[in-house]
Amino acid sequence: MPFIKKNNPTMDSYEHDCSRDLNELAVQLVDENPVIRRSAALNLAEHQGASEILIDRLKQDRDISVRDAILTTLISLGDTFAVIGLVECLRSEDAALRNEVVDAMKQLPEKVAPIMTSLLVDVNSDVRIFAVNILESLRHLQVETWLDRVIEDDPHINVCATAVDLLGEVGTSTSRAALIHLRSRFPDEPYICFAVNLALKRIGEDKGT
Amino acid sequence: MKKIIISEDDFQKFREFFYRKVGISFENDKRYFVDKRLIERIELTGANDFRDYFIMLRFEASGQELQQLINVMTINETYFFREEYQFKCLVNSILDEITRNKKDTSPIRIWCVPSSSGEEAYSIAIYLLEHWPGMTKWDVEIISSDIDSVMIERAQRGHYSSRSVQYLPATLLTKYFKPSGDGYQICEDLRSSIEFTCVNLMDSVEMRAYRKFDVIFCRNLLIYFDDLSRRLAAETFFDALNPNGFVCLGYSESMSRISSLFRVRKFPEAIVYQKPGVDL
Repeated sequence: MPFIKKNNPTMDSYEHDCSRDLNELAVQLVDENPVIRRSAALNLAEHQGASEILIDRLKQDRDISVRDAILTTLISLGDTFAVIGLVECLRSEDAALRNEVVDAMKQLPEKVAPIMTSLLVDVNSDVRIFAVNILESLRHLQVETWLDRVIEDDPHINVCATAVDLLGEVGTSTSRAALIHLRSRFPDEPYICFAVNLALKRIGEDKGT
Repeated sequence: MKKIIISEDDFQKFREFFYRKVGISFENDKRYFVDKRLIERIELTGANDFRDYFIMLRFEASGQELQQLINVMTINETYFFREEYQFKCLVNSILDEITRNKKDTSPIRIWCVPSSSGEEAYSIAIYLLEHWPGMTKWDVEIISSDIDSVMIERAQRGHYSSRSVQYLPATLLTKYFKPSGDGYQICEDLRSSIEFTCVNLMDSVEMRAYRKFDVIFCRNLLIYFDDLSRRLAAETFFDALNPNGFVCLGYSESMSRISSLFRVRKFPEAIVYQKPGVDL
């Protein structure tokens, strides 16, 4: 049979002497070879103090596979520096990076929760929209409360539209008053009226009313 | 006790949620299957109704109940030629593309993880021998790995129950197996063709030895992982694959919901995931 067996699986040469030392990994993280940068990023998961250098690299690296590895390690570390750094990246001009960071933050519910209130009132409406995007699949009991506050207070129609779409999925009868108030705040905006009515219908149906 | 009822709206809501979380989309003909298991979990958790349960499911920080639900909503068994459409995809589409792009005559390397008791790896070997003309030109190396050393021993032993081989055509059963005790023994040629290894997918040091694969089969494993573990597994597969190599997941799994590292490839037989070439 033309099947072959080798006793030992293959290992790339650079991986034989792959360092686990923080300083050496920090040097490898800026290597010109993206494979080495990626490997360093993943190995830095063993170092609690590595978030700052990872965030620095995340902002600069153009290679998607390296950025993905950095984000995986930042999720794994999940410390304050990691979360603060990720929030900084939400303000990046790089749309792909912002989307990658939103996905990463969804996986850090307990770390993101304490800063969510401030993210949702950020001066930058784009950051507020990204914060609502994070809520889309953030496993946290406060999600509905946060969304209610957004549609009660946020002056920006796009932020409210993002929030009301999500409330249509996760909202309960507690959101009813906030939804009705939102409709009255934007009476001339057909999409808001449509989305609010849809959300109310879903909530109403859920309660059997 | 209050009778729990899953309404049509409940079902649709659950179906949308479960698909987004797990990648499994239940069609209407699975309604009875889904309702029965949902009601079981609602009762076991002490929730009042679907709505109570759904809120808990969605917002529970630990994700434990979601995991329990996944466990009951998925069927955890393996047998020869399970999800055969992917083997058809391998021999009709994937391998031809790989061999077209190969720059040398090095063996085609296929990795099955988890190995479980070996049915998948042996199925691939049989499928290649029976259906891929390229076997006359190319060497193939199949490595099959599992974290459970008992499973690896069983795979190496190659003895299977009647239930395990029930979907094999009779001709292939005769050709590659012989009756043994209350089951079937796979032939020595096949048994010695596959490398079975014990490995932990989450151990980055162990994983360094797993490189330069052309195809990875990882079916019905990732659904049991949490988000971070799935992401780490995706990183492992990315590093283990050659550029343009393929990952085949179970029918209910989606790499797109785990990682953006891979391209979706739609072949006539199956959707699989491909590591991009040199430039991402």
